[in-house]
Amino acid sequence: MKSIGIWGWVATAILFVLLLLAPQLAPRLHLALTICTDVLLFAIAAMAVNLLLGYTGVLPFGNAAFFGLGAYGAGLSIQNFHVGFITSLAIGTLAGVVGALLIGPFLLRRRGIYFALLMIAFGQVFYFIAYRFTNVTGGEDGMNFTRPALEGFGIHLQDAGFYYAILLIFTLVVAGFWLLVRSPFGRTLVAIKQNEVRARYLGLNTDRFIFVALLISAAIEGLAGACYGLSIMFAYPLLLDWHQSGDIVLMTILGGAGTIFGPLVGAIIYVIGEDILSTALPWWQIPLGALFVACVLGFPKGLLGTALDLLPGRKNRIEPGHDLDFAAPIIADRETTR
Amino acid sequence: MAHIAPEIFNGLILGAFYAVVAIGLSLIMNLTGTINMAHGSFMTLAGYLAFALIGAGTNYWYALAIAPLIAVVIGILMERTMIRPLYRRDPVYSLLLTFGISLIAEEAFRLIWGPNGVPFSPPKVLSGSISLGFTTFPVYRLFIAGALVVIIIALVIFLQHTRYGLRLRAAVQDREMISALGTNTQLLYMINFGLGILIAGIAGVLAAGMLSLNPQSGNSLLMPAFVTVIVGGMGSLYGAIVGGLLIGLAISLTTLYLPAASEISMYVIMAVVLLVRPRGLFGEEGIFG
Repeated sequence: MKSIGIWGWVATAILFVLLLLAPQLAPRLHLALTICTDVLLFAIAAMAVNLLLGYTGVLPFGNAAFFGLGAYGAGLSIQNFHVGFITSLAIGTLAGVVGALLIGPFLLRRRGIYFALLMIAFGQVFYFIAYRFTNVTGGEDGMNFTRPALEGFGIHLQDAGFYYAILLIFTLVVAGFWLLVRSPFGRTLVAIKQNEVRARYLGLNTDRFIFVALLISAAIEGLAGACYGLSIMFAYPLLLDWHQSGDIVLMTILGGAGTIFGPLVGAIIYVIGEDILSTALPWWQIPLGALFVACVLGFPKGLLGTALDLLPGRKNRIEPGHDLDFAAPIIADRETTR
Repeated sequence: MAHIAPEIFNGLILGAFYAVVAIGLSLIMNLTGTINMAHGSFMTLAGYLAFALIGAGTNYWYALAIAPLIAVVIGILMERTMIRPLYRRDPVYSLLLTFGISLIAEEAFRLIWGPNGVPFSPPKVLSGSISLGFTTFPVYRLFIAGALVVIIIALVIFLQHTRYGLRLRAAVQDREMISALGTNTQLLYMINFGLGILIAGIAGVLAAGMLSLNPQSGNSLLMPAFVTVIVGGMGSLYGAIVGGLLIGLAISLTTLYLPAASEISMYVIMAVVLLVRPRGLFGEEGIFG
């Protein structure tokens, strides 16, 4: 991967200035500040997908399990143990990791479409648990809770305060992600994505690398879910559903999997688009579905990915999905399953 | 015993539905690497088409034959125009595409036929109950059981004992070789996709009369069908049948004794099977034998 160069740093700086000014800018664009908060939350969630899809080459269609676990983890800990703001986020993050620890060993046995299929199926377990265990989770109705005070300060973060808290978390996640994908660990993940069989022959325990990537992804996803829970002060089973997974994967692909800021671009378009369309159209699932179709057929590399390809000297970018013969994942699966 | 027997029979019927849907899914998945998230939408589509045909005065039997065929035509159009360009790409793209199509379909059903579902009653001949000695049972369910058995037997014969089935299994193993030997693989993919949709469509019309017909009804069968594919072994015909029946029974019996765990039970089976046999009960994917 090439360094992003001076213009990359300038663009990143401009982006963060805009994000810092969002509470002032949003009203002039007739956007609610909660929409800006949602954009950042889902950008974090989509980055978790991006780590697996864009950099490791496995499809986490079922990531909403970790997202929802984060929301429930935060909600249940607030409701039952009256924990503070940061603790609830930490517990939500941990809930995502625990979910990944439980289903990860099953997923890791397979690759390619079989991994995707297992993840779709296992991801839905938590949905049914939340849906059925009514006395703990509130079942279909979901559970309400209040946003706790920030530890040490005793203040309740609201509106702009909450937005800046989420922006801080987003910034930390982006920085961590940036360092991660440039580290030897991140480079190994990309090697596994490009050719797992070869990576194994080089002596790498690819199962272990993918498992760690899954745990990191689930932690980020859980954190995003916990933030979302605190944002809407509510957790409900549909947060764990595969439709939620589909939305987050769409944001990742829409912006550009395999790019640092692709998930943010995808989240901006998706969240703002949803906000405008769902109030204007009762049948807004149709344009949403059409967006999936258009994105897959028209912009497989995502908006940011396509835009970056247009820049000179950027041809060696990581592809969102390897354009190999489709039998390759099946063959890779045969080689890696024992 | 008397109250378990009908539940066991219901479970087996439900399981046969899962098996039929799972076979269609894994036919498409194994040959072309496409996880067809819109499979449930085609079941719902066929159900609603049959409902519309019967509403327009067609009799049930014609509706049962025509509705799945219309679904097949739409499915083949979708395969040719949208899914085919994605065959050489990463599986994530076809999965997202079909997921998007299922969203569009669900909303379209809601717009056309309303959000709450429509009543779909089986024809007069098939209504009523029959006494089996120890218990009575609805005739329509017996009919469904018979029809699903016929579909499954027809599929086994078709895939294992016809030249087309032979080509299809060969193509799953080595696409390039069979293409070099003179089989039109693009046509094969199309027919294969159409076949998957056809059995989904027939199952959709049958299910409409037994379960319910609403915008999500097909999708509610999709998740157990995914689990069936995993439990049976991806690409195994007999695995899908055994896996489907096993899961149908498990869901039906847990609904009787422990309703809260009815959906969880299939995941417990899946987890146990994967621990013992990572490739599923009959697992050797891609072979379709």
